[in-house]
Amino acid sequence: MNTKLSYDIIGLTLFAGVILFGVPALFSYDGFELNTFSRYLSLAIVSMALALSWGTAGLLNLGQAATFGMGSYAMAMHLKLKASGDGLPDFMGWNNVETLPLIWGPFQSLTFTLLAGLLIPAAVGGLIAIFMFRARIAGVFVAIITLAFLVAFQLLVIEQQGLTGGQNGLTGLAQLVLFGWKIDIYSVSFYYMVGGCLVAALIFGLYLTHSKFGLVLRAIREDAERTRYFGYNVANYQTVIFCISAGLAGWAGMLYALVLEFASPTYMSVSFSLAIVIWCAVGGRESVLAAAVGAILVNLAEGRLSDVFVEGWHMILGVMFLVVVMFMPRGIYGLLVDAGRVLRRKPASTKEALPFDTPLNPKQES
Amino acid sequence: MSQLQVRDLQVTFGGLRAVDGMDFDVAQGEILCLLGPNGAGKSTTLDLICGKTQPTGGSIRFQDTEISRMLEFQRARLGIGRKFQVPSVYKELTVAENLSVARSMKPGIWHALTHPAIRRSSKMQDILDLVGLQDKMGEPAGNLSHGETQWLEIAMLIAQDSRLILMDEPTAGMTIQETERTARIFRSLSANHTLIVVEHDMSFVRTVADRIIVMNQGSKLAEGTIQEIEANEAVKTAYLGH
Amino acid sequence: MDVVFNQAFAGLSIASILLIIALGLAIIYGTMGVINLAHGEFVMLGAYATWALQTYAGLGVVTALPLVFVAVAAVGWIIEKVIVQRLYTRPLDTILATWGIGIILQQAVRLGVGADSRFVSGPHWLSGNIEIGALVMSNYRLFVIAFSIMVLGATWLLMTRTEFGMKLRAVIQNRGISECYGIEAKNVYSVTFAYGAGLAGIAGALITPLFSTIPTMGTGLVVDAFLVVIVGGLGSLMGTAAAALLIGEVTALFSIVINDTLGRIAVLAGIILLIRFRPRGLFPSDIRH
Repeated sequence: MNTKLSYDIIGLTLFAGVILFGVPALFSYDGFELNTFSRYLSLAIVSMALALSWGTAGLLNLGQAATFGMGSYAMAMHLKLKASGDGLPDFMGWNNVETLPLIWGPFQSLTFTLLAGLLIPAAVGGLIAIFMFRARIAGVFVAIITLAFLVAFQLLVIEQQGLTGGQNGLTGLAQLVLFGWKIDIYSVSFYYMVGGCLVAALIFGLYLTHSKFGLVLRAIREDAERTRYFGYNVANYQTVIFCISAGLAGWAGMLYALVLEFASPTYMSVSFSLAIVIWCAVGGRESVLAAAVGAILVNLAEGRLSDVFVEGWHMILGVMFLVVVMFMPRGIYGLLVDAGRVLRRKPASTKEALPFDTPLNPKQES
Repeated sequence: MSQLQVRDLQVTFGGLRAVDGMDFDVAQGEILCLLGPNGAGKSTTLDLICGKTQPTGGSIRFQDTEISRMLEFQRARLGIGRKFQVPSVYKELTVAENLSVARSMKPGIWHALTHPAIRRSSKMQDILDLVGLQDKMGEPAGNLSHGETQWLEIAMLIAQDSRLILMDEPTAGMTIQETERTARIFRSLSANHTLIVVEHDMSFVRTVADRIIVMNQGSKLAEGTIQEIEANEAVKTAYLGH
Repeated sequence: MDVVFNQAFAGLSIASILLIIALGLAIIYGTMGVINLAHGEFVMLGAYATWALQTYAGLGVVTALPLVFVAVAAVGWIIEKVIVQRLYTRPLDTILATWGIGIILQQAVRLGVGADSRFVSGPHWLSGNIEIGALVMSNYRLFVIAFSIMVLGATWLLMTRTEFGMKLRAVIQNRGISECYGIEAKNVYSVTFAYGAGLAGIAGALITPLFSTIPTMGTGLVVDAFLVVIVGGLGSLMGTAAAALLIGEVTALFSIVINDTLGRIAVLAGIILLIRFRPRGLFPSDIRH
């Protein structure tokens, strides 16, 4: 069941308030703390992107990390070029690459980079989507194919050392100059930018889920075949949401590369992709807001607890994930919805009368 | 020119000829009932018309367009709607949401992206009043009783507003009163829609049918009005004394 | 020509390893529709068990095999009873749950034994090579190939000639009706899961002399094993064997034609295409599900 729009708007407003005003105040506007929190916010974007395809449309994209990685590399390539004075990056020289590869050239332009970080992941997502959904691949097979794609993609990136920096990724990046604004990632204004991006993404996500498009996707999730008989081109709907989800993941990746100041193949690993699934599951995949909150909470916990439980954090994560999947499959969001239903419960209803004014027929019930 | 023309329709499943040379026409606004013993191929014929199954031979022309090679959603867009034997409403969506999905006159993505999930309209309200579900708009369809689920399905079909509606045992599990109510709804529908109904309830068929086709072993055994069918010896034999 | 034979042998060797790993997974998936992402960790457990038996009890790899089978099967049995059993109605959630289990197993081993790579030496009586002309075949790898065929044969016998196998096949085809005949599907599932885990354990034991034993060794293996199962087709032992052979040989071929990594990518791409065009695999069972 979809939450009423009013609840979602209230939730988003509260969330935006906490993120944009509460958190900075809590950290006394300390740049370092806010930078760490920006990392959580960018991960929240990719988590909500997964919620759009998984929670709304029922498509478990285990390869979400691939599109996330594409976005981060796009941003990193731009910043690497800037750091090398628009010339040949250092690692290429070490790999005996003599001229700037064609793929790298356009990333000198900021505008191109921003568009590419959004559109290339969306396009790749679209191709995979068309490939799968035209053939009516669904359910478990979507998960397997996207997982296989992720593995292949990460291998490719690592292998093409001269092009991508291989295992080491892209480091030594310049500061981003965003149309004249030189961005200090330890500043409060950078935090507001990332926070603003997250809120914008959430508004977009809520718009989608409350539109007829979102409704049809939920119908497809429950029974794709029945939905076809109403005239909906199911493959198209699935492809569009898959693209949107991939594009958002790319956008998140760009922010992430900014925050961490490097891009690496670990962003495209199977374990990272599954971590995204964990955050989305913990928060609640049916709600973009919950998925975002889930990502922030889990990563916040990791940030605080992994110092305490240095060795055991991953184990805790695994256990937590298992518990969520087994007992709270709809995440924290699911718990809240169920609690709300209990609180609002009407007194036990008597058997409803027939819809028209006729006496009860003993032959009636199923 | 009849609205639907079926010629020599055939489908074979691994050696079994489920439908074997069906030939019939359906005129606009007609209510045609398909009868026959179990396994006669009635549901399969509906499957072939709406696109659930691809025929292995023959032709289906709807409003002068050959549709036998089209995908289901394309046929739905042309105006063919289907109600299945097993109630298939969206249990996780509310009654109102179910109806909204069924309103698929404009099934395109652009329209879906630019309109809200539920748009209240007098037409929707009328449909809900007609089937008696006006108090259950916000209820998840999974919470409805069996009878209410059947009504919701019928409501969805009306909302879909298909020119040709294919129904598979619409009165299964209904009480006598519900069946009569359904018959009245069908007769009012036929003003603007064509119906093909697979049924077993003979009293319902008597009230509703303009014409009847009896199927047996995948092909047409007899065709005509209810009186003609009831007088037909071959039909009686096929039903083993019905 | 020699290169061809040597690569063919290399492919056979890869295939045999893939087969034993994938067989357990195929049985679990074919029977219960459970996608066990912890399967790689069962292999890892088998490897560590072998190491432990060699280090602390002086047992050789081959001698340890039965013990490893039982140990890992027991772990599998417990996991099925406690966790997997609750998730039969939710296939996508089973993937996630088993992934969580995999993480837990991996971390448990890392915390308990340490993250350093462990070394297990192969049996002395299998060291050395057989050389036929320019064809060089490692004795140990020959043993693994022979053993994998034996395991395949034993599994086939189990499925077709034993009462348990018959019950298993009944449950695969129709759980509901099987239960009406008094077959306890739950027990069949538990034993099957345990058997699949045990096979993974043996695979782990066998590969210890060939690969380094580290806690993360399972992650890469499970994706490959899965793809073998999908390519082979559901419910088909022969399909799994054929797929393992195909993928093994193709991988070996690609690594001489192009490099290893690109070869792996090409294989993955080929598999993705295959799933798209033949989602039921190379040898799907003929029964309409």
